[in-house]
Amino acid sequence: MSQPHFTVDIFQNEYLPDGGRDVNAVVTVATSGEAAASPAADPGSAEIIIVDCSGSMSAPRTKIAEARAATAAAVDVIRDGVAFAVIAGTERAVAVFPSDGTLVAASPVSRDLAKQAVAGLLPGGGTAIGQWLSLARQMFLSHPAMLRHAILLTDGKNQHESPERLGQAISGCEGLFSCDCRGVGTDWEVAELRRISTALLGTVDIVPDPAGLAADFSAMMTAAMGKQVAGVALRVWTPQHASLQFVKQVAPTVEDLTGRRAQSGPQAGDYPTGAWGSGESRDYHICVRVSPGAVGQEMLAARVSLVAAAPSGPEILGQGLVRAIWTDDEGLSTRINQHVAHYTGQAELAQVIQEGLEARKQGDEDAATAKLGRAVRLAQESGNEDTAKLLAKVVDVVDAATGTVRLKKQVEDADEMALDTRSTKTVRTKK
Amino acid sequence: MTGGTTAPASGQCFACGEPVSVTDSFCEACGAELVPILVSTGDNTSRGNCSFCASSGVAPDGYCESCGRKVPAGRDHVEFDLRTLAGVTDRGVRHHRNEDAMALAVVSSESGSAAVAVVCDGVSTSARPDEASLVAVRSAARVLVTAIRTGEDPVTAAPVAALAAAQAVAALAGPSGDPPAATFVSAVLTGEAATVCWLGDSRAYWLASDPASASRQLTTDDSVARELIAAGMAEAEALASAQAHVVTRWLGADLRDAAPHVLRFEPPGPGVLLLCSDGLWNYQPDAAGLADLALPVAATDPLRAARALAAFAVDAGGADNVTVVLAPFPPARSAQGAR
Repeated sequence: MSQPHFTVDIFQNEYLPDGGRDVNAVVTVATSGEAAASPAADPGSAEIIIVDCSGSMSAPRTKIAEARAATAAAVDVIRDGVAFAVIAGTERAVAVFPSDGTLVAASPVSRDLAKQAVAGLLPGGGTAIGQWLSLARQMFLSHPAMLRHAILLTDGKNQHESPERLGQAISGCEGLFSCDCRGVGTDWEVAELRRISTALLGTVDIVPDPAGLAADFSAMMTAAMGKQVAGVALRVWTPQHASLQFVKQVAPTVEDLTGRRAQSGPQAGDYPTGAWGSGESRDYHICVRVSPGAVGQEMLAARVSLVAAAPSGPEILGQGLVRAIWTDDEGLSTRINQHVAHYTGQAELAQVIQEGLEARKQGDEDAATAKLGRAVRLAQESGNEDTAKLLAKVVDVVDAATGTVRLKKQVEDADEMALDTRSTKTVRTKK
Repeated sequence: MTGGTTAPASGQCFACGEPVSVTDSFCEACGAELVPILVSTGDNTSRGNCSFCASSGVAPDGYCESCGRKVPAGRDHVEFDLRTLAGVTDRGVRHHRNEDAMALAVVSSESGSAAVAVVCDGVSTSARPDEASLVAVRSAARVLVTAIRTGEDPVTAAPVAALAAAQAVAALAGPSGDPPAATFVSAVLTGEAATVCWLGDSRAYWLASDPASASRQLTTDDSVARELIAAGMAEAEALASAQAHVVTRWLGADLRDAAPHVLRFEPPGPGVLLLCSDGLWNYQPDAAGLADLALPVAATDPLRAARALAAFAVDAGGADNVTVVLAPFPPARSAQGAR
């Protein structure tokens, strides 16, 4: 499998006014190269599918059947040679296939056996997601694969363990495997799954109708099969006396990575980005506060490297420079970089949606109206049509340009949850 | 501002132009007895320690690995120290490259050391001004060094050197477009006199060490302002006119009146000869004011004083490239030029 080629591009206005300190830049990381289309044996990858088998999965009756079918669809996509397993989750976690708690290399035979085991899954019991994650962790650790990924499906809240236990379990899995989370129906908690997907560098989404599960699982597993490089980090060097204000992924979704820093040198920190495949592109917004230089001086505000863990030590996959040049030419220093402005708006969009929905839940209609109105305006201005459509199911838009809205009296739970989970989805700047 | 660069370990043979080491006595190529000419190409300079925080780590792309500052290199900032004279040239703040150039040499003979300096300022509105200034200083310095070694009078050699520089600049001109152009000022300083030659608005000043003795500007600009004054306009009014700083004569293919100005000046006492581009004198045109900035340090440590003058211009706004050459009088024996 050929390794993709990484490129790092920096978009910024490097000119600062006299005394200016904050340097903003959008870092675009993209991969190119041959997609791994050949089903060559790949012991470097491991997959675990975690299926909620709690009692509530029996209602509606199609739910468990669709979950089984979705799991089977995902199993079908696993490439030959990839180590895999299926876990059934209740208030405990049970290895469904293979039943001995190890991982098995995918083959026509092992995929059939897995699907037979999945077909026998029956609902019954509670929900303790931390248990599920902990078993997945143990199973991943039994295998040397580097590219570890899990799919987690639930239909309910984490009722049978404390949030602290869940937090401990999540911490134990951080950096070990990535996890895409799906909530089926509307009885699960968005914040709970987001907590897991954020920590484990995966996605979160709602599948309101169980009938949609199979296509979604198949797509997720296909994306996972495309990953070729594991454990890639954004390494950010900053000058002495500088502080990194934030590091956020801003495309395809907003994920604040600021708190995920792992010191990697006296003036450098690593921020996890997870695994990468060919043909991917993600944007990051970083803001560095530097000590100001004299007019005419130039400073390197950040050296941004993409680093992959390799047996021989960290491998630099790409690099970009964030610069600062002080000028007394206002025409230069006041120029706003459109990428930075765009993603500043997209991050605010995600924030005001979440805050607006929370205010609505708390019964603070004025705050909810103001926040969601602001969101409508931001979505309109930035051309984020998907988010605009989701917003229109929660508020009546009077005038999108000014952000004038009225809260809808009746809102489907699924619509509200869809808006919440997908609030972090961003659109690209029109380059 | 201080630079991380010092005198490079090599120069060029005055006779054939081949690279030579300052420790060589004879040119390996042509066999000439050597007087290395230092030209501010920037090629021989390397980034040492960071000039801002003194860290020893400077990345290959020129940024300090500690404070992140861009450490100047190449032509952006060049310093030469021959003890007998020293020079600093700096990009300044506003310009994106350094179009000034300087060439320095010391010729030693039984009668003592002679300091040779040439400063040129490429005219920004012309084609390839950065190359024009470099070829000009190199060509003129070579002629002056050869003349001194063969015992020629600097007063007759100086216009020949200026002409050689003008021809070198003219040779850069392409088949079409604006011809390249540069201002010019040269000096030969011996134990007896300074011979100054110029075209345009790069200047020479005499800075007197004795406060009782007058410092003075030796050159007269070839500028619109000077021509207006010569025609009878009051100096203040002439300098305030919009075209005041437009240069009326220069080195280049389109030069109508090729005769450069030559002045022989016998210093009345100890002091320092200063050559500079307008990047310096725009911020301090007055000879006494420049003397205050340069002396007394310049008399014993011309490099330190040249750095201070360049830093003064950069701190004052750095609107243009700035070049400063200082040669103390009477000349000290050169550490590197002496044999």
